[in-house]
Amino acid sequence: MKKVAVIGSGNVGATTVYYIAEKNIADVVMVDVAKGLAESKALDFLHTAPLRGYHGQIVGTTEYEAIAGADVVVLTAGIARKPGMDRMELLKTNVNIAKQASRAVARYAPEAVVIVVTNPLDVICMVALRETGFALKKVIGQAGVLDSTRFCYFIAEALDVWPGDVMAMVLGGHGDSMVPLARYTSVGGVPITELLEEKVIEELTARTRSGGGEIVGYLKSGSAYYAPGASVAKMVEAVIKDEKRLLAASVYLRGQYGYRDIFLGVPTVIGGGGAEQIVEIELTEEESTALERSAAAVQEGVSLLESFYSPGTGDV
Amino acid sequence: MHYVTVIGSGNVGANTAFFIAEKGITDVALYDIRDGIATGKGLDIMEAAPIRKYRNRIWPAKTLDVIADTETVILTAGKVRSPGMKREDLFEENRSIVAQLAAEIARLAPHARILIATEPVDLITTEFARCSGLDRSRIMGIGGCLDVTRLRYFASRELGLSPENISATVIGRHSDAMIVMLRYCSVSGLPLTTLLSEEQQRKIVEQTRRAGDLIVNMAQRSSAFYAPSAAIVDVVDAIHMDLRRVSCVSMLFQGEYGISGVAMSLPAVIGRNGIERVITPKLTEEEQQLLRSSAGQLEKILQTGDER
Repeated sequence: MKKVAVIGSGNVGATTVYYIAEKNIADVVMVDVAKGLAESKALDFLHTAPLRGYHGQIVGTTEYEAIAGADVVVLTAGIARKPGMDRMELLKTNVNIAKQASRAVARYAPEAVVIVVTNPLDVICMVALRETGFALKKVIGQAGVLDSTRFCYFIAEALDVWPGDVMAMVLGGHGDSMVPLARYTSVGGVPITELLEEKVIEELTARTRSGGGEIVGYLKSGSAYYAPGASVAKMVEAVIKDEKRLLAASVYLRGQYGYRDIFLGVPTVIGGGGAEQIVEIELTEEESTALERSAAAVQEGVSLLESFYSPGTGDV
Repeated sequence: MHYVTVIGSGNVGANTAFFIAEKGITDVALYDIRDGIATGKGLDIMEAAPIRKYRNRIWPAKTLDVIADTETVILTAGKVRSPGMKREDLFEENRSIVAQLAAEIARLAPHARILIATEPVDLITTEFARCSGLDRSRIMGIGGCLDVTRLRYFASRELGLSPENISATVIGRHSDAMIVMLRYCSVSGLPLTTLLSEEQQRKIVEQTRRAGDLIVNMAQRSSAFYAPSAAIVDVVDAIHMDLRRVSCVSMLFQGEYGISGVAMSLPAVIGRNGIERVITPKLTEEEQQLLRSSAGQLEKILQTGDER
């Protein structure tokens, strides 16, 4: 069996593990620096194995050594933004966590594909890439799959059709600045532009952009994890099984779509090697403008990062 | 459309809805007394539907009136343990929640099946049966079946074999006083007692007794919820698909082994109507005594509460 290490055992990390176990995709190591958290959740999963027929190993630990030999490492560790916390504070904390984790990955799992989930996503991807020193295609951010599944669900709800029949592609950064490609979104092959009025599509797009915020609003404390976990697990499965799936993923661009040296969400073929191929599609002027805004938002985050960070130095 | 109603959208309630969606058993109405929780978790699960290909809907219920048309009510509401607490310590607080719900459910959904996961499960199941006045065949506490999945896991680890082909029976209280019937445990039909040494057998029994406590103590801020939710959904599946599967559930005793009026786990055939048939395995004198003393303890806790 292949091996997946999930760093961070909060709700997103644990739910990702759940999906991996349910499909018997790989053995799993859960790592969390908070003593007892990964251990307790791993054990709870193992108690579930007889009922659900899991046959992989699930280990919970505080020690990074346990990720040794992992084929995929999922990075979910980090703090969530709390009311009153400024952006810089969140960024510094999560960059530090990502640094520590990435160095452990480089040391113990040098062959792994890294899937980054920690926010701010496109910036943390950059840190993971620099700290691991891995090939560009080995570091991928999860954002587009989540934005797509939310968009698909809202469309399915609006049309009263089965969500499994809706396919969508989104571009750009995660959340507010995402760019859904409505003309490439279809239900059983029929473009939604033929099924829904433009105004409705715009509403659904807006709802997708603030999809994470909507759930935080309901929960008051805590944020979404079922759909995020499912999105990560989908990418993990694509790598582990070398599925070569075309998914929206945040990858390091070197000129594609006219951008260089930033992570941005674009259609990517995900397989055993990681981000195996970036697919460039033609964009309308409107879409290009939206992508530009998105790239600018990511660039702003990277500039903030550069103001205090240089790779391989500073406190860890 | 058929649906089950989950009352309480904390970790156990939300994961129960989630497992039901994953397995495609039925629609779920998710309810919580706290504003927004059921809506938020329900929406999060549905947003995974395109990826996970769910065929069912999970929807938030604004009021408890939804239970009027539901087939099964799953009760997960109530406080959970913190480290150092015994399950009984939750009784006073959770009892009042359940007493209220029991009356409401008896009025609105007299024909529904009721699954109870609120702790302490045997006491809460007893209280529910008493307050609702519903037939005991409709009321099932998630006790023995959770202990069974844990025992199967520990046995599989000790044997180095897949847990799938291991079957086990645990009866009595969902507590330290559980009765693990090792002679009823087997691997593809082969008795477990012939495959494990006595020391190994003692070890897995002890691990099963302490499994819930261990997770509460490790996790600090929550108790187990994956295995409990899986145990609930296993029973939901048996009811909705009318599987007539044998499962250990907490039920009101009515003369079994000379005990009446309190709930503990026994194996039962679970199907469309809930408990279709109770199975009373032959117990040793020692086991019968343990079961009677467990019943006495439950009765005592219930009476102490009544006097307050």
